[in-house]
Amino acid sequence: MKKAKRISELGVLTALALIMFIVELQIPNPFPIPGIKLGLANIITVYTIYRYKAWEAAAVAAVRITLGSVFAGNVSALIYSAAGSALCILGMIILKRFIGEKHLWLASVFGAVLHNTGQILAACFVLQTPQIFAYYPFLIVSGCLAGGFNGLCAQLVINRLNKIDLNNADQ
Amino acid sequence: MKIKPFIAAAVIIFALGIAGSIFALTSSSKNLVRISQGGKTLYTIDLSLAKDDKIEIKCSEGTNIIEIKDGKIRVSDADCPDKTCVKSGWLSSSAMPIVCLPHRLIIEFCSESDVDAVTR
Repeated sequence: MKKAKRISELGVLTALALIMFIVELQIPNPFPIPGIKLGLANIITVYTIYRYKAWEAAAVAAVRITLGSVFAGNVSALIYSAAGSALCILGMIILKRFIGEKHLWLASVFGAVLHNTGQILAACFVLQTPQIFAYYPFLIVSGCLAGGFNGLCAQLVINRLNKIDLNNADQ
Repeated sequence: MKIKPFIAAAVIIFALGIAGSIFALTSSSKNLVRISQGGKTLYTIDLSLAKDDKIEIKCSEGTNIIEIKDGKIRVSDADCPDKTCVKSGWLSSSAMPIVCLPHRLIIEFCSESDVDAVTR
């Protein structure tokens, strides 16, 4: 029973992440730099990393990235987001030990920068050109801002969910 | 666990990012331009000598149209999904190439020592 509940929770989270991803596709990107975006779906990534097991967070992200790239019709972007998310999740699982839930937004900033690092390494590999690293500083700046924003969103969600859990315990 | 070192690290990363961005934006332009795809150089063009021209670059994923005008170069059209390369506009900074990720295309300034073989 408990297992079924957990799996359905992961399913809901994956669906939420996909919706955020697709809604974000409708927002035109004002920056002519590949890889810069808000990455709203990573609110879910950050949340699952802090609230679920490592492999569960990785599974949610993997399904979201695969289905997302199919829905967006941009399968060639898959390798960049996959590399970015892999590095991001790995790094954040380690950071989770040092940075508590109170400072989740900060861990999210590091996660975003790691995500951008993974993206640019993948791009460097695909394009066979280290010149692509010229975009790295822009990605870091946007990553810090977007990561901070997404982290704050995840933090607000966790704060509210904590209240709900308390209410349930009272009943 | 103390949080301050992590905040300091984040601030330093952010500051480095801003400094790097300013550097990338302010780097001057050069005359020689290299167009490469998937790591292979397709063209090397001297913009100060080049006539106004349009080059079509095809690959298995699609096509990019590169425009040379008044000694400047840009991607004028592409059939990639994001069109980031078109939005990049004219190539202006030697530190920041125009990139079309889906088509693995790069347009960048290069120096004479980088050119080992004269191509078309």
